[in-house]
Amino acid sequence: MTALDSARPRMKPGRLSEVGFVSLLLLPGLALLLCVVLYPLLRSLASAFFNESLLYPGVTWAGFDNITAVLADGFGDLLWQTLIFTVGATIFPFIIGLALALALNERFRGSRMLRGAFLVPWLLPGVVVSFLWMWIFDANYGVLNGLLLQAGTIDSPIAWLFQTDTARGALIIAKTWNSFPWIMVMLLAALQSVPGELHEAAAMDGAGPIRRFFAVTWPHISGVAGLVILLEFIWNFQHFDTIFVLTGGGPAGTTSTFATEVYDTAFKGYDLGHAGALGLLWMGLLMILVVVYVRFSERGEKH
Amino acid sequence: MSTMLTVPSDVSDPTPTAAAVLGAGQRGQRIRRRRRPRWAIGITVALVGLFTFAPLYWLVITSLTPDADVFAFPPRLFPEEITFDHYVSVFADPAIFGFLTNSIFVSVITAVLSVIVSMYMAYAFSKFRYRGRKALMYFVLSSQMFPQALLLVTLYVVFAQFGLLNTYQALVISFTTFTLPLCVWMLKGFFDALPDDLIEAAKIDGAGHWRTLHSVILPLAAPGLVAAGLFAFVRGWNDFIFALTLAGPEKQTLPPGLVNRFIGEAATAWPALMAASLITSIPVCIAFIALQRYLVGGITAGAVKG
Repeated sequence: MTALDSARPRMKPGRLSEVGFVSLLLLPGLALLLCVVLYPLLRSLASAFFNESLLYPGVTWAGFDNITAVLADGFGDLLWQTLIFTVGATIFPFIIGLALALALNERFRGSRMLRGAFLVPWLLPGVVVSFLWMWIFDANYGVLNGLLLQAGTIDSPIAWLFQTDTARGALIIAKTWNSFPWIMVMLLAALQSVPGELHEAAAMDGAGPIRRFFAVTWPHISGVAGLVILLEFIWNFQHFDTIFVLTGGGPAGTTSTFATEVYDTAFKGYDLGHAGALGLLWMGLLMILVVVYVRFSERGEKH
Repeated sequence: MSTMLTVPSDVSDPTPTAAAVLGAGQRGQRIRRRRRPRWAIGITVALVGLFTFAPLYWLVITSLTPDADVFAFPPRLFPEEITFDHYVSVFADPAIFGFLTNSIFVSVITAVLSVIVSMYMAYAFSKFRYRGRKALMYFVLSSQMFPQALLLVTLYVVFAQFGLLNTYQALVISFTTFTLPLCVWMLKGFFDALPDDLIEAAKIDGAGHWRTLHSVILPLAAPGLVAAGLFAFVRGWNDFIFALTLAGPEKQTLPPGLVNRFIGEAATAWPALMAASLITSIPVCIAFIALQRYLVGGITAGAVKG
């Protein structure tokens, strides 16, 4: 089995064994992951069961108090808000990404250049994306209000990011702008595996573009499409940057999600116990998604 | 071949695919004859194009608009005069200049460290078979699925205990760790493409493990190392939440620095913020362009060797 078994020379004295060598190779990376990912994760989750604050030293056992407190205190709203953002920020980029991938998969003059140009929103740092949309949605001088007022669609400027009925939509639009290019690229890659002959055969049998999409194209790209949707869903479920900068969870907490709520609980409320309890519930839900993802990718591998 | 890990490497690691797609035109073009809904293509590209490029246009134009015209109503889609004053003032602002140098310093160190740590790890995953290998690979892969906001809570406490808050070390350590999964996966792909015969030949010539790795394997994987380094650079450059919390005012990088400097003031200086945003975006775009070429090179080289 060992790739190198056949070539392994007789061990010279003083020379590192293969096991020793591999251990040394893995050591720095594993040490970092243990110290910066695994230990903090477990400790965060454990703090759900303790009364712990950033303000004062000392830790006392809390049992399930933190978890019941968190569940009683608007947990349903938080889950609902997180899901709205996650679903919206997954579906809209997927639709746009798919439509654009199908369009740019055709060869026409400039299609290659456009593939590159459409990537720009995805390349920009998350904070820059947030700044840009904050300015577009600005209550007084934002270009969106300006254009809508001029067109007569609205009578007075709207504070898009500060009204409960528009803030979510605004966030989803900003995130959609940022993430559809990645989906487009992934789907374009999948589209290239679709054999052209099948399309020609289907076309000769008289299938129109829509029939051809569902009969020929979709079966070839559905695996990648499923993975893309799952990954986007997982990422959006923990997204922080855009929400934190654009609305900070407001107005009146209507756009707060697990990510901003855990952050605020820990760093504005200084309450590590509650933050840990929220995190424990959050991780539980996330693990379900990750398990689905692993199953999904294993199944895709077998085909 | 491991079962699941090849699929996520394609999926969670967008750039090789991006490069493959963008470089696709280099392959022989086949002429296909079939009916295409041209009007549908045109409308799709036009609508998505408007959604994509109108905000970008507004970003650029705002950064070039004189302050007096920014608050004009109706908004001037085509400014009467343009100015580069905002770019000058951004660079002249000592606070922003500080964020910029912090960003460069932290991202470069992160890139170098990430490459060193991840190349060893990737080699151990690619060319050796041992018990626990798959479990370790799952662990590395899954570590990028944990929510950063949650890890941050304890990381803050731990860094505080070790006196690392408000230091470059805190940023470099956390950025490097969160870049590892992606870099390891990228580099594992590069090592997988190198034939095992190379290692066997080096061994027969009497080279030890380290010598084989450093003199034979790593030079051949150089494009991969560069790509992984650029990736890590971009990750460090773009990070917001860790720099916001762990860096303090002195060591803050551009993303949280700009938020603290511009957002929340009575009247945000939008043109200057847009100029600063564009400056922040430039290194990322350059890195991507460079990354794309290396990756396309790596992929075509692999294809030629078959």
